[in-house]
Amino acid sequence: MAEPILRVTNIIAGYGPISVIKGIDFNAYEGEIVGLVGPNGAGKTTFLEALVGNIEIREGQIHFLDKRIEGMSVMKRRKMGMVLMPQEDYIFPFMPVKRNLQVAAVLSRDEEKEELLDFVYGLFPVLKERERQIANTLSGGERKMLSVGMCIMANARVVLIDEPSIGLAPKIVTALFENMKTIKEETGKTLILAEQNVKILKIADRIFGLEAGKIRFCEKTEDLDEAVVKELYMGE
Amino acid sequence: MILDGLINGLIMGGILSLPVLGVAVVYGITGVPNFAIGLIGVFGGFTTWYFLSVGLPLAILIGIGICFPIGYLLQGVLLTPLSRKKEADSTLFFLITISFGFIVEGAIRSVFPKPTISIAFPRLGAIHIGDVSADGFKFVALFVAVVALIAIRLLEQHTKAGRSLQATSQNLKLATLIGINTNQVFSLAHGAGCSLAAVGAIFWGALYTLDMGTGWHLGFMGFIIAVIGGIGNIWGGLISALLMGMVMSFAGYFLGGVWQSVILYGIVILVLIISPRGILGSERSI
Ligand SMILES: Nc1ncnc2c1ncn2[C@@H]1O[C@H](COP(=O)(O)OP(=O)(O)OP(=O)(O)O)[C@@H](O)[C@H]1O
Ligand SMILES: [Mg+2]
Repeated sequence: MAEPILRVTNIIAGYGPISVIKGIDFNAYEGEIVGLVGPNGAGKTTFLEALVGNIEIREGQIHFLDKRIEGMSVMKRRKMGMVLMPQEDYIFPFMPVKRNLQVAAVLSRDEEKEELLDFVYGLFPVLKERERQIANTLSGGERKMLSVGMCIMANARVVLIDEPSIGLAPKIVTALFENMKTIKEETGKTLILAEQNVKILKIADRIFGLEAGKIRFCEKTEDLDEAVVKELYMGE
Repeated sequence: MILDGLINGLIMGGILSLPVLGVAVVYGITGVPNFAIGLIGVFGGFTTWYFLSVGLPLAILIGIGICFPIGYLLQGVLLTPLSRKKEADSTLFFLITISFGFIVEGAIRSVFPKPTISIAFPRLGAIHIGDVSADGFKFVALFVAVVALIAIRLLEQHTKAGRSLQATSQNLKLATLIGINTNQVFSLAHGAGCSLAAVGAIFWGALYTLDMGTGWHLGFMGFIIAVIGGIGNIWGGLISALLMGMVMSFAGYFLGGVWQSVILYGIVILVLIISPRGILGSERSI
């Protein structure tokens, strides 16, 4: 296999004097879905925020597209092709659906915006139907679709989404995850999904298990013992 | 008398709505209350007065123009870096912006030869409404406020910069993550807000007189009225300015000038107890 598009070596990060991420090695290849699983408080959110530069790391290195990025600002990393959709507050609440999508395309080139929008609307027809609706009046599922649509509009090569399935009905989770797979297949993007929902095992190519700030395992999904993963990391 | 009160209220509300818009833009977007904004506006007013010899329109432009970089730099050099510190809370910003206000006050005193000025504007004809007549010019402030507000709304809806502004005020974290240069948005908003305050001060100087007290007064009133209208909600700001103008006008008529502020601030406290996010609701908590 080629070099990973994103390579993390032994990073330590946290808040104030406390280290939450206690030495993590991680990598992701172009065009794969990576699941990052782990119980509440394991450090999934902290890890993702460290990757995009929202919090600084204390030690270690992050290589993205063969460049060291750990000293770069959020904006620089974003321009290089990385975007994070946060766990909470992942829409602009008082704007219509379509404007949310337009704003997410701030750094995309003008000539690609229309194509991106068509792709989003093709994937989530409900967003087209409701393009004039104010975002905070959408249902939970529609809001999530909007946030995934915004990731597409952002047109980054590596898309990090923090718990896309949280708070959604099982059926909607299945559908949303199918869409993730479609995105991966049609755009060749790398998707890194922090998750606690077992259905991640259906779409991820590889899974990293995170516990108390450390990686406990990293396996191809087909090699995983599902029962163990479920018990340890999915709270089942 | 009722009509008289209404008209005076409109005039008062119109003029107050300009600094209110300034505050609404700055606080609504950056989340930092700038209590020096009135003084900065007054600095713009004094600058206009100083340059009157080059012609009124140009002098106005200079006065408004000089306030933009003041706000822009204040935000970019001082407030944005400060807000990243974890000790930064409203008290800190209160103290810092008040201090900055005193610095601006000192600057005005040392730069300009007079501590109190008024700016001569050409009078328009009198406007008659019923049996009350008032100089047409007095309504220009209200007109300008409405135009400014519509312009802000249009810019927000139809330009990329405007959408970035909206996005930043609605969800700062997401705006940053999605790739908006939120620091620049903050600086621009602060520059624009200070320019609006200057417009307000210039009108104040044309209708009444302009001094340091006016600066503090406009700043605090602007802030309070913006909060009453719902911070970040600029229509709410305008409506609230007009309502407060009416309250002051009628309180002045029926109870006399001394009671104006008592009634006004009594209502402010009442509204904030009943509805802490203002009458029209806010997209940001106070
Ligand atoms: N801003 C913060 N300040 C201090 N500690 C924090 C902060 N954010 C998170 N933590 C702590 O860091 C640890 C990891 O939190 P994090 O949010 O990264 O976990 P997570 O795996 O995303 O959990 P969840 O599944 O609940 O979202 C927790 O113990 C949490 O209390
Ligand atoms: Mg989390």
